[in-house]
Amino acid sequence: MDLKPDERTMASTAEHPAHLQHHFVSSDQQFDAAKMGMWLFLITEILLFSGMFVAYTVYRVWHPEVFDGMAALLDWRLGGLNTLVLLASSFTVALGIHYAQVDNRKGLVTNLVLTFLFACIFLVVKYFEYSAKIEHGIVLGDGFAPHGVSHGVDYATYDVMFAQQFFSIYYVMTGIHGFHVLVGMGLFAWITVRAVKGHFTSAYYTPVELCGLYWHLVDIIWIFLFPLLYLI
Amino acid sequence: MSQHAEHHITPIKTLVQVIVALFALTVLTVVTSRMDLGALDVPLALAIALTKGALVVSVFMALKYDNKVNAVVFGVGALFVVVFLVFTLFDTAFRGDLSSTTKGTIMEQEAAEEAILEREPDASALQFNRSNE
Repeated sequence: MDLKPDERTMASTAEHPAHLQHHFVSSDQQFDAAKMGMWLFLITEILLFSGMFVAYTVYRVWHPEVFDGMAALLDWRLGGLNTLVLLASSFTVALGIHYAQVDNRKGLVTNLVLTFLFACIFLVVKYFEYSAKIEHGIVLGDGFAPHGVSHGVDYATYDVMFAQQFFSIYYVMTGIHGFHVLVGMGLFAWITVRAVKGHFTSAYYTPVELCGLYWHLVDIIWIFLFPLLYLI
Repeated sequence: MSQHAEHHITPIKTLVQVIVALFALTVLTVVTSRMDLGALDVPLALAIALTKGALVVSVFMALKYDNKVNAVVFGVGALFVVVFLVFTLFDTAFRGDLSSTTKGTIMEQEAAEEAILEREPDASALQFNRSNE
C-alpha cells in the first residue's frame, strides 16, 4: 500500500487499518464522527445563506412588484441550464460515492472528473450572465445605472426605484454561492488526485463522502436561488 | 471489509430515478412560472423547490438511510432557519411606516387623517364673505 509517512508508523493490520486514527475505536466510529461533523458544518452554511434568504424575503415583502419585474431581466434559460448542470453534478457525485463503496476506482474517478467539469460549465455560464449585466450598468453599489439596448431589451426601463435592492441581493447571493462552487472545484481536484492514487476503497472513502455532502448543499442552495431570482 | 458492511449503498437505479425526477421538476417550475397563475406563482415555485431539496437531502445525501442523529442535526438547523425567517417577518412585514419621518405612528397619522375628513365644515367657510364688498 502507498501510505503517507505518518500512516506508515501505524500498524497496518485488519484490526487497525492505516486510515484509522488512534483516538477512534473503529473505522465506523471514525466515519460516523466525521460525517456528523460535516452535517454540523453544513448547518452553519445553511445559516449563513439563510441570512441572505431572509433579506430577500423582507425586501420582497416590501416591494413585491419590483422583484417581480426585475426577475424578467435575468435569463431563465441560462438559469435553468445552470440548474440542470448543478443537478447533474450532484448526480455524478452520488454515483461516484456508489462506485467508491463497491471498489470501482475507474467509476469513482470518472464521476469526480465529470463533477469538476459540470462545476466549470456552471461558472462559465455565470460569467456570461454577469458580464452582460455589468456591460449595461447593472452593478453592485453606487455605479448602478442601467442603460443600452440588447436582444430587444431596453435596460433603461429597469432603472426604477428599489431595482438596486433586487440586484444587490442577486449579486451577493449568487456571488457567495459561486464562491462555494469555486471551493468545491478545489475540493474535487484534490479528491480526484487522491482517487487516482488509489487512496480510497470501500473501507475508507470518508473524504469523498464529505466533499459529496458539501457539493449537494451547494446544489440545494441553487435549487432555491433559481426560482426566487429568475422565475418569480 | 466487514466493519463497513452496514454502510448503505444506494442502488444506481434509485439515483437515476431521483435525477430524472429533479430534471422533471426543474422543467415543471420553469413552465408553471411562464404561465400566469396569479397568487399561486410564488407558493408553487417554493413547493417545487422544497420537493427538489428534500429529494437531494434524503437520497443523494442519504439522510434517509443514515444514522438518525444526522437527521436530528439537520432538522434542528432547518427549524432555526424557519424561526429566523418568521420572527423577522413579525417585525418587517407589519411596519408599513418605513418612509415616514414624522414622530407619530402610522395609526396616529391615519386617525388624524380620518378626523380631518370627518370633520363638519365650519359654517363660516361655506358662506360668501360680503364684508369686503
